[in-house]
Amino acid sequence: MEQDARQLNGIFQAIADPTRRAVLGRLGSGPASVSDLAKPFDMALPSFMQHIRLLEESGWIRTRKVGRVRICAIEEEPFTAVERWLFEQRAIWEGRTDRLQQFVETIRVEETQE
Amino acid sequence: MMRSVNPDLDLTISRVIKAPRSVIWSAWTDPWSFEQWWVPAPAKCKVLEMDLRPGGSFETQISEDGGEFVPHLSGCFLDIVDGERITFTNALLGGWRPAEHPFMTAIVTLQEHPQGTEYVAHVMHKNDADRAMHEKMGFADGWGTVMEQLANLAEQRATSRARP
Repeated sequence: MEQDARQLNGIFQAIADPTRRAVLGRLGSGPASVSDLAKPFDMALPSFMQHIRLLEESGWIRTRKVGRVRICAIEEEPFTAVERWLFEQRAIWEGRTDRLQQFVETIRVEETQE
Repeated sequence: MMRSVNPDLDLTISRVIKAPRSVIWSAWTDPWSFEQWWVPAPAKCKVLEMDLRPGGSFETQISEDGGEFVPHLSGCFLDIVDGERITFTNALLGGWRPAEHPFMTAIVTLQEHPQGTEYVAHVMHKNDADRAMHEKMGFADGWGTVMEQLANLAEQRATSRARP
C-alpha cells in the first residue's frame, strides 16, 4: 500500500505540469518522436528532454531509439487493468470532491462579501 | 454496521472543506447545487430525480460538448442520515428494483472538523464482467477521461497551493 502511495505521488507529480500533460494528451492518440512532440512548444530541446525523462521515470511513457530518432509511447505496464480501472474511478471521485469543495468555498466567500 | 475494506475494489476520498456541514449538505442535496459540481465542465449535469430516502430514486443525465442529455447515474438511496451521511448505489433503482449494470455503492459522510467539515467518500466496487466490459471500451477512451480528470485535479491543486 505504501509503495502504491509513493507510485501515485510520482504519477501525480509528473502531470502537475501543462507541458507534460500536453505530451501525454498527444501520445494518447499514438506514439510520436521527441522532435514531433517538441514542435508545439517554444522551448529549448534540452528542457523539453527533461520533461520526457520525468515522464519516463514516473512510468507514464516509454521511449526507444530508432536510428537517430527517439520514439515515445504511453506506457500501459505500470497499471494492470484493475489498477487502472480503480485509478480512473479515484480520479473521477477526486474531481467531484474538488469541484464540491470549490463550489461550497466560493459560496462562502460570496456570502461574506454580501 | 461492519464495513470491510477491500483495497483492490474500494477507494476512499477524504478532504477537509472550509465550510460548515450544513452548507456542504445542501450543496449535495439541493439538485440545482449538485448539478453545478457533479461533472467536470464543459459537461453539464441534470438531476432528474433525487428522492432522499431509503429506496428513493437517484437519476442524473449528462451532456457532453453541448450535446443532448443522456443517462449518467441511475441508482437509489439506501440510507440518509440528515446532515451527516448519504449512502447510494447503482445496484438498485428507485423502489429497490434491481439495476441493469450495477457496479458500486458509495457512502458519503460529513463530520465536524476544527477547520470546517471532513468530507469522506467511500466507494465500493463490484469485481466481475462489468469491469471487463468497461476495459473493452478501450484504453484510449478510459485514458482520455482519466487524463482530463487528472489534469483538472492537478491544476486545481496547483492553484490552491499558489494562493497565499
